[in-house]
Amino acid sequence: MKKGIDYLTRGIEVILVLLLASMAVMVFANVVMRYGFNSGLAISEEMSRFFFVWLTFIGAVVTFKENGHLGVETLVRMFGRRGRMICMALTNALIIMCAVILFWGTWLQQPINASVIAPVSRMPMIYVFGVTYFAAVGIGIIAAVRLFRVLTNTVSEAELRQFAGEYDDDSQLVGRSE
Amino acid sequence: QYQDRTFRVSNGINEDHPVGDGVRAMQACLDERTGGALKLNAFWGNALGGDLQATQSLRSGTLEMVITSSSPLVGIVPALGVFDLPFLFSNEQEADAILDGEFGDYIAGLLPEFGLVNLAYWENGFRNLTNSRGPVEKWEDFEGLKVRVMQNNIFLDTFANMGANATPMAFGEVFSALETRAIDAQENPFVTIDTSQFYEVQDYLSVTNHAYTPFMVLFSKPIWDTLSEDEQTAMSDCAVVGRDAQRAAGRALASESLARVREAGMQINEISPEEQARMVEKAQVVYERHAEEIGVEVVERMQAALAELRAQ
Amino acid sequence: MIILVFLASLLGSMAIGLPVAFALMFTGIVLMSFMGIFNPQILAQNMIEGANTFTLLAIPFFLLAGELMNQGGLSKRIINFAISFVGHLRGGLGIVAIVAAIIMASLSGSAAADSAALAAILIPMMRDAGYNVPRSAGLIAAGGIIAPVIPPSIAFIIFGVAANVSITQLFLAGITPGIIMGLGLLVVWQFIARRDKVATLPRQDWPARLKATADAGWALLMPVIILGGIRFGVFTPTEAAVVAAAYALFVGLFIYRELKIADLYFVLLRAAKTTSVVMFLVASALVSAWLITSANIPGEVGNLIRPLIDNPTLLLFAIIALVLVVGTALDLAPTILILSPVLMPIIRQAGIDPVYFGVLFVMTTCIGLITPPVGIVLNVVSGVARVPMGKVIGGVLPFLLAHIAVLVLLILFPELVLTPLRWLRG
Ligand code: NA
Ligand code: NA
Repeated sequence: MKKGIDYLTRGIEVILVLLLASMAVMVFANVVMRYGFNSGLAISEEMSRFFFVWLTFIGAVVTFKENGHLGVETLVRMFGRRGRMICMALTNALIIMCAVILFWGTWLQQPINASVIAPVSRMPMIYVFGVTYFAAVGIGIIAAVRLFRVLTNTVSEAELRQFAGEYDDDSQLVGRSE
Repeated sequence: QYQDRTFRVSNGINEDHPVGDGVRAMQACLDERTGGALKLNAFWGNALGGDLQATQSLRSGTLEMVITSSSPLVGIVPALGVFDLPFLFSNEQEADAILDGEFGDYIAGLLPEFGLVNLAYWENGFRNLTNSRGPVEKWEDFEGLKVRVMQNNIFLDTFANMGANATPMAFGEVFSALETRAIDAQENPFVTIDTSQFYEVQDYLSVTNHAYTPFMVLFSKPIWDTLSEDEQTAMSDCAVVGRDAQRAAGRALASESLARVREAGMQINEISPEEQARMVEKAQVVYERHAEEIGVEVVERMQAALAELRAQ
Repeated sequence: MIILVFLASLLGSMAIGLPVAFALMFTGIVLMSFMGIFNPQILAQNMIEGANTFTLLAIPFFLLAGELMNQGGLSKRIINFAISFVGHLRGGLGIVAIVAAIIMASLSGSAAADSAALAAILIPMMRDAGYNVPRSAGLIAAGGIIAPVIPPSIAFIIFGVAANVSITQLFLAGITPGIIMGLGLLVVWQFIARRDKVATLPRQDWPARLKATADAGWALLMPVIILGGIRFGVFTPTEAAVVAAAYALFVGLFIYRELKIADLYFVLLRAAKTTSVVMFLVASALVSAWLITSANIPGEVGNLIRPLIDNPTLLLFAIIALVLVVGTALDLAPTILILSPVLMPIIRQAGIDPVYFGVLFVMTTCIGLITPPVGIVLNVVSGVARVPMGKVIGGVLPFLLAHIAVLVLLILFPELVLTPLRWLRG
C-alpha cells in the first residue's frame, strides 16, 4: 500500500517536472522566434498557460500531502496532543468540505466548459478546467485519511508535529516560502 | 409585479467610458418603470473577473449581467465571430440598422441555448490602428508591423493576412509594450486610444475602420427565467433606452477623443476610398477561411442583410 | 456586518491551523452562504481563472532561475566578491552581508532562500571572527527581506496581477527603495559594529579583487539582462523570467560547472512544487476576492476610512499600519492577495499612484517576514544559523526599526520613489 502510494507520488512528480520543463521551452522558444525571426506561435502562449493550470492543481495535491501549504500555526503550537488533535480533525473536516464543493462546482460547470473552445488550440476547455476534479479528489482523500487517523487515535507524533508546523529540516521551510 | 431585485453588472472597462452613461440611463428608465424595484449594481474594471469569466458566471447563474464586446465570446458562441470579420460595416448607420434589425434578433435568438439572454447591442465602435512607425495609408504599410491584437483567431488572421506580425497580448500589458517598443502598433476604438493614453507612446493614428465591435448587454438565462414577464420586459426595454444614451455618448466622445489625441500630437490620416476598397477586397479571404467556424449560414445571412440594406 | 463575517471566518479558520489557501476557500464559502448566493460553481470557476493568467507564468520561471543559480554555486561567488571589497572594514562581514543581500536580491525574488544562503555561509565566519551571533543572524534576516523589493520579485508579480498594475513599472520602482533599505541597515550596523570588538579580515589587493569580480561577473550580469531587457522593451516580465532561467542554466552548466544534468530534475521539481503552493494560494484567493467584491466590502471599508481620503499621507499611514499588523501573522503572498481587493479601490479613489503604493505595500509585507509571531525568514535564519528563535527576534529588532524608519521616510517623501522611477522610465 505505502509502496504503491510512493510510486504514484513519484509518477506525479515526473509529470510536474515535464509540465514545467515544457512551459519553459515553449515560452523561451517564443522569445527566440519573436526576436530572432520576427514571428511567434500563438499556440505556445495558450498551451503554456494551460500547462500552468495543470501544474498548479496537480502540484497542489502533492504539496498538500507534504503539508507544504502555508498556514499560521502559532496557536496550534501552544496546544498539547489533545488540542492539536482537535484542531487537526476540524481543519481536515473543513478541507474535505472545500474539496467536495470544488468537485461539485466542477461537475456543475462541466457542460459549460465542455462547450467552450480555446481560441487558438481549439481544445475544449474542460480538458483544462477539469483538472480541479483531480485536485478535489486527491486533496479530499488525503484529508479523509488524516481525519480518520485522528478520530481513531492512530495519528503519530511526527504527523502532529508537522501539522503544527514544526519541521526537522530547514530546507522544507525555505521551500514553503516564495 | 416588480420584486425588489439587485442585478450585478460586470464591466471590463472603467466607469468613465460611455457604457457608464448607458448604465445610468438604463437605471433611470428602470427607476421610472419599476418604482425603484429593479437595481443595477455595476462593477467596473474587471473587478468581477474578465469578460469571458463573467459570461461563464452568467451561464452558471452565479452572476446576473455583463456588458462585454462580442469578441471574447466566440469560444462560447462561434456565431459571434461574424462581428470580428474585417471591414464588415462601412459606417455607424449600417451597424445600427443590422444590429437593431432582423439580423441582430437572429443572433440574439441563438444565445439562450448557451445560457445567455442578449438585452440589446450597445457600441464599442470602429477600431483604428495606431503605431510608432509611420502613417498607414495603403495595404502594403501593414507589412512587418508588430501589432497587438486580442486573442482571437479572426483578428490574428486579419492582420497576418495583411503581412503584419500579429501578437496576442493582454490589454494591461499593451501600454508598456508600446512604450518600450516591444510592439509597434495596437488597434482600438478612438475612445480607448484616448483614455488609455496611447497617444503618449504612439505617433501615428490611421483611421482604418477595419472592424466594428458591438457591446452585448447579456443577462444570465438561469436567472432570467426566475423573473416575471413584466420584469423581463422592463429590463429589455430599458436596455434599449440605455443603448440610445450609450451610443450617443460614445459617438460624441469619439469625436472629442479624436480631437484630443490630435491635440496631443498624434499625426492622423484617413484612408483614401480607393485604398479602403482595396483593403476590403483583399480581406475577403479572411471571410472565406473563417466562414465554417462562424457558421456558413450566419455569414450568408449577414451578407444578405448587408446587400439588402446597401441596395436601398 | 459582512466585514465581521469575513474576518471571523478567515481568522478563525486560520487560527485552528487551516492552511491559508483553504481558509480563503472556506471564507468564500461562508461569504456566499451569508449573502444567500451559495453556488459551488463560484468556487470552481474562480479557482481556475486564478491560475489561468499568462503574466503569472513569470513566477515559476523566476523560481526556476533562482533555484538554478543557487545550485550553480552563485551565492559563494557573490559573497567572495563582496568580501574582497569591503571585508577589511570595521564590521566588515556585516557590510558584506548587506552588499551581498542587495546583489542577491537582484537575482532572485525569494527572501527565504536568500537569507538561508547568506546565513549558511556568513554566520560561521562571523561566529569565528567574534561577532555577536544573534545580532548577525538578525542582520542577515533583515537583509534577506530586500529580495522581494528589488526586482525580480514574485511579490510584485502577484501584486501587479491582483491589483491590475504594470509589473514592469513596479520592477523599476522597487530598485531605489530596495537600495535605501540596504543603506538603512548599513547605518544601524555601523552604530552596532562600533561597540563590538571583532577581528577584521585582511585588506585584499586589486588583482585579488579583479579575480573575485570576474568570478562573480556571470552572476552580476543577470540583473543587467533582466532589468535592461525589461526597461528597453526587449522582454515582457514573463519573457525576462524565462530568459533568466535559461541564462542561469547556461552559467550553472557551462561556466561555473557546479550544476549537473542529474540535478536538473530536482531543481525543476522544487520549483514546480513551490509554484503550485504559491499558485494554489493565488487561485483560492480569487474565490474570496470575487465574493469580497461582490459583497461590496471595499466600499464598506472605504466608508470607514472616508475621513482620511482627502489626506493621502494620513491615509497611507493608516493603511500601512494595518498591513504591518496583518503582516505580523501572515506571509507575503497571502497578505497581498487578501488585502489588494479591499485596498486598491480606496487607493485609486484617493488618487495615490498605484505603483508607488505597490512599493510601500510590498515593503511592508516584507517587514512582516521578520516580525513575530509568524516570520518565515526568522525561522529560516534561526534554523540555518542554529540560534534560538527568541534570540534572533532580539537580534533583528534594531534592523526592523531601521526598515520601519525607511518606510516612514518613503511615505513622507514619495519623491524618493517617484523621482528615480521617472528617471528609470527615461
Ligand atoms: Na529580487
Ligand atoms: Na510576521
